[in-house]
Amino acid sequence: MENFNITYDEVVSLVKNMCTTISPDALALMRQAVQNESNSAAKSMLQSMLDNVEQAGVKDKPVCQSPGFPTVYIRFGDGVDLSGLTQWLPQAVIECTKKGFIRPSIVHPLTRKNPGDSSGVGVPNIEYQYRPGQSYLEVIMSAKGCGAELGNKSMIMTPATLGDNFIGLKKLVLETVVNAGGMPCPPSAIGIGIGGQMDVSAKLSREAISTRDWRDHHPDPMIADLENELLANINKLGLGPAGIGGDTTCLALKIAYASTHTAICPVTINFHCWVARRFGVRFYADGHREYLFQEVK
Amino acid sequence: MKTHDLTMPINNSQVECMEIGDTVYLTGTIFTARDMAHLEIKKLLAKGEKLPSEFAGRAIFHAGPVVRKVDNGWEMIVIGPTTSIRMEPHSQMVGELGVKLIIGKGGMAADSKAAFKKFKQVYLQAAPGCAVQLANGVKKVVSVNWLENGMPEAMWELEVEKFGPLFVTMDAKGNSRYDELKETATSKVKEIYG
Repeated sequence: MENFNITYDEVVSLVKNMCTTISPDALALMRQAVQNESNSAAKSMLQSMLDNVEQAGVKDKPVCQSPGFPTVYIRFGDGVDLSGLTQWLPQAVIECTKKGFIRPSIVHPLTRKNPGDSSGVGVPNIEYQYRPGQSYLEVIMSAKGCGAELGNKSMIMTPATLGDNFIGLKKLVLETVVNAGGMPCPPSAIGIGIGGQMDVSAKLSREAISTRDWRDHHPDPMIADLENELLANINKLGLGPAGIGGDTTCLALKIAYASTHTAICPVTINFHCWVARRFGVRFYADGHREYLFQEVK
Repeated sequence: MKTHDLTMPINNSQVECMEIGDTVYLTGTIFTARDMAHLEIKKLLAKGEKLPSEFAGRAIFHAGPVVRKVDNGWEMIVIGPTTSIRMEPHSQMVGELGVKLIIGKGGMAADSKAAFKKFKQVYLQAAPGCAVQLANGVKKVVSVNWLENGMPEAMWELEVEKFGPLFVTMDAKGNSRYDELKETATSKVKEIYG
């Protein structure tokens, strides 16, 4: 069984660094947005956001007080030993909470009791994805803010409501963005899951925005066009950073789909705040690591 | 567009001259309160019991900080706004308490707009995700109530100095920047997709 020489300390350091900066792909898009923004109040809001990221780095503090909810995607091939990671991920979250990098924000869903250390049933949420024949081990962890969740929407569409040229879907996405307003800490990023049943669309919506590089292009040209069209039109709405008006409402929009039943088209629209706390690492058998979402050289 | 340097507590005439688009910096005492703190206040009021603090003329910040326990109290690490709409059901109560400034993110809805007009209150948008920057304005953690509800949900009394920048997005006359933008965006959606 292969464990790629991963240690507990390495996991702690990955989780800690996730809290004190934002993903390089999101940072690059934010820098571009400051350049392109034409509304002066919005431009200074974006500049404040970038300054805050810099200060967090210098002071070694969490970028945002809200740690969101942690999800980890583990994509593994054959003969991989995941027992260490499975045990260390929740431990690392607890250790980073005790050190002040993660605010203890995990509670029982009904009693609202807070254990005070980010421990709890299903925390972090670990999604194990078996990839037959994959030689490396890929781990992507993302802590997505939960104010953003308040604007999310799931809907079971039908062939009639989907409409010609998916116009029903497109309107649903734009209307959901308008209703979410400033709640998801715009400039947001949006994941859209389409297909399966309701649970599948919801999982895909989270996975699309949490695991893809925010600057990439979908390999399916029809989906890529849909992503581009929706992103461009969302940024014509004028909602702006923090929802106070401006050109920059959404940084990235990613779609993931699965086949569905002939009667339905489940759709989930899932918001991500601009504070993209995440890391992605590919662990190789020879011991080297490849870090995802890095600056384009 | 004006900049207001305010020292807490403030009065109605100070609130009434604040307009949408103005920038605000606060000095003095402010209180954090999110879902659970509002519910605790509501419980005390229903029982006719004394509240832990005087809110008249003060600011409530929809926020949960990251703090660290130190020998003589608490050290502020970072603090930033949470989504305010969750506190919409308490707008009348917060108005009756005499709270003058509500700080948060994303804005509030119709009940709050009515309360802001009736009780003379203003809503201030803080920069979302700018927790290190906002913490620079916090000089001291004065006290904490309801810590049993967890760090984010407790009510933290903070001494602040030039805390901000905060932006007036809902005024005491019933105007809302969020409503204006929503209206424009809704007609834009119709223009694009019919």
